Amino acid sequence: MTTPLRILRAGIAWAFPLAVFSLVAIPAVAQTSAAAYKAPRLLGTPNPNLNGLWQAINEGNWDLQVHAAQPGPPQFGALYAQPPGPGIVEGNEIPYQPWALAKKKENFEKRFVRVKYDAFREIPLDPEAKCYLPGVPRATYMPFPFQIVQGNKKIVIAYEFAGASRIIPLEKVGEAPVDSYMGWSAGRWEGDTLVVDVTGFNDRTWFDRAGNFHSDALHVVERYTPASPDVIRYEATIEDSKVFTRPWKISFPLYRRLDKDALFMEFKCVPFSEELIYGHLRKQAGK
Amino acid sequence: MRHRILASVGMPLIVAGLLAAAPAAAQVAAAAQVPAAKAAAAKKWRTPWGDPDLQGSWSNTNIAPLERPAKWAGREFMTEQERAEEEKKRARSEGGSFYDSSWTDGRTSLIYDPPDGRMPAPTPEGKKRQAALKAAFDRARNNGPYDGPEDMEIRTRCIIRDALPRIPATYGNSYEIVQSPGSVAIYHEAIHETRVIPIDRPIDRRPHLNAGVRQWFGDPRGHWEGDTLVVETTNFNDETAFQGSTKNLLLVERWRRAAADRIDYTFTVSDPETWTKPWSASIPWHSAGQLFEYACHEDNIDMYGILTGARADDKKAAEAAKKGTK
Repeated sequence: MTTPLRILRAGIAWAFPLAVFSLVAIPAVAQTSAAAYKAPRLLGTPNPNLNGLWQAINEGNWDLQVHAAQPGPPQFGALYAQPPGPGIVEGNEIPYQPWALAKKKENFEKRFVRVKYDAFREIPLDPEAKCYLPGVPRATYMPFPFQIVQGNKKIVIAYEFAGASRIIPLEKVGEAPVDSYMGWSAGRWEGDTLVVDVTGFNDRTWFDRAGNFHSDALHVVERYTPASPDVIRYEATIEDSKVFTRPWKISFPLYRRLDKDALFMEFKCVPFSEELIYGHLRKQAGK
Repeated sequence: MRHRILASVGMPLIVAGLLAAAPAAAQVAAAAQVPAAKAAAAKKWRTPWGDPDLQGSWSNTNIAPLERPAKWAGREFMTEQERAEEEKKRARSEGGSFYDSSWTDGRTSLIYDPPDGRMPAPTPEGKKRQAALKAAFDRARNNGPYDGPEDMEIRTRCIIRDALPRIPATYGNSYEIVQSPGSVAIYHEAIHETRVIPIDRPIDRRPHLNAGVRQWFGDPRGHWEGDTLVVETTNFNDETAFQGSTKNLLLVERWRRAAADRIDYTFTVSDPETWTKPWSASIPWHSAGQLFEYACHEDNIDMYGILTGARADDKKAAEAAKKGTK
C-alpha cells in the first residue's frame, strides 16, 4: 500500500535533482523531463494520477496552424480579435486532399452566414458559435478548463464548454454502435501514458474557428503523459482517409489550474446561441 | 508549492486529532442500527483507495409517482401481487417493451417524508409561484404564443433535461458514476452533462460559490458519512425551479451502495419560500447498460419548426386582417 507520505517523499526526491539540474542544462531537461518524470500513482493502482482541473494555453481553437493577429467584429474594437499563435500542428501542415482544402476555405467564409444546413434548417456553419458539442480533440484546447475524474475502471472527462463530457472505459470496447459528436473512446495505459483511441465520430464538428474539419471517417488517438506535477503532455494523431492524404499530429501541454479557488463551473451556452440560430424566426414588430 | 505541502501533510495531522472523537461516535451509533449483513455487504464495495465504491452505470427508472395517489393512501409499499400488476399495467401502457421503465421497489410514491407521501403544503407565495410556473409551462408546451426561442421551455430548448434532483422520466434515466480520491463525477445521459462534485472532509470543506453566482445544476459539495456519499447543492438559478422552488433551494442527496446492482438514493429539499417544511424522496438506482451520447440542441428541429410555424401563422393572420379591412 502506498501511503500519501511516501508519494510526497517521492515527489520531493524527484523535484530536488530536477530543480538543480535545470539550472545548468535547461534545454536537455525540456527534452527529457517528460520521460524522466515519475508521476504520483492513483492510490491503490499502478497508474499515474491524472485527476484534476486542466486547461490548454494556446491559440489552436482560433486556428490550428501558425497565424498572425486578425481584427474581430469592428463594433467591438479590440475585443474578440484573433490572437496570434505559433500553431499546434507538428510541422504546421494539414495534409488536405485538394477538394477538402477548398471546403475548409468555404467553411471559414460562410461561418456566420445563414446557409442551408440540413433538410430543415438554414443556419450559420460555425459549430462553436452554435454551442454544438465540440468534438475530440478540440474540446481539449478550447479556452475552458476541463476536469479529469480518473477512476480505476473508467475515466470521465467533463468539459465546461457546452456541458460536453466523455466516458472512457479502461478496457477493450467493441466498435462504436453509432456516430456521435464526442466519439466513442477506448482507453488503455501504455506505461505512464494514457492512450485513448476515439472512433465513431459524425462529420459535424470542426477543429477550430478557421474552418478546419473532418469527415465521419475521423480516427483520433490521444496520448496523455504526465510531465511534472502540474503539466500533462498531450498529443493527438488525426487520421481521416476521406479528407486527408496522411495522418497528422497536434501536440501541446495541458496545465493544472492552480488558482486558489479553481473549480469546475458551467458554461451552458445553448441560450447564448439562440439569437444566432433562431433570431430570424422571431416575431417582427407590427407583423 | 509550500501551500500544497502544508495542505497535504500538515492538515491531516492537525485535523486527525480534532476529528477522532465526533465521527467515531456517530459511526458507532449508525452501525448499531444497520443489520450485520448489510454492513458486511457495504464493506465489499471499496475503491482501491478505500472510499465506498458507487462506480458503474445506473438507472433511476421507477414507476412510482412522485406523490402518493389516493388509492394507496396510508400505505408506503404495495404487496408483491399489487406490484406485479402495476408493472404489467405500465408495460401495457407503453406498448410492450417500450422504454424499459417498469422498474419498481414497490413504493406507492417516491416521497416518503412527509409520511403521507405527498409534498408538504406550499407557502401562500409558493402556491402563487407554482401556479404561474405551471401556466408558463402549459403556454410553452401547448398554446404559445411563440414569439421567440425564450417562449419555449428549457427542455424544448435543450438547455437542460430537468432540474435537480432528478425524478425518473419516461426515458433517458441513465447515469454513470466515476470516482477519484477528491471528486465524484455523475454523468447524466440526458443531456450529456457531468456533475463534478468536489469531495472534502467536512472540516475542510470549501465554501459554496458566492451567492450571486447561479448555475443550472447549482454548486455541489460532497463528503462521505460512513458508507454514504452526501452532497449538498445550492446556488441554483431562477429557471431551474424544481417543482416550483426558488433559486434558494437547498438540496441534500445521499447515495449508498446497497448491492452489486443497486444504490439507495434519497434526497431532501428545503425551500422555506416554497414549502412549509422540507420533504424527502427515495429513488433507488439500479444497474443499467451502456450509455450513449444524447445530443439534443444540435438536432433541435422542434425549435426551428415551432418558430417557423408561428411565423407562418402570423403571415396568415396578417393577410386575413388585410382582406377584412378591404
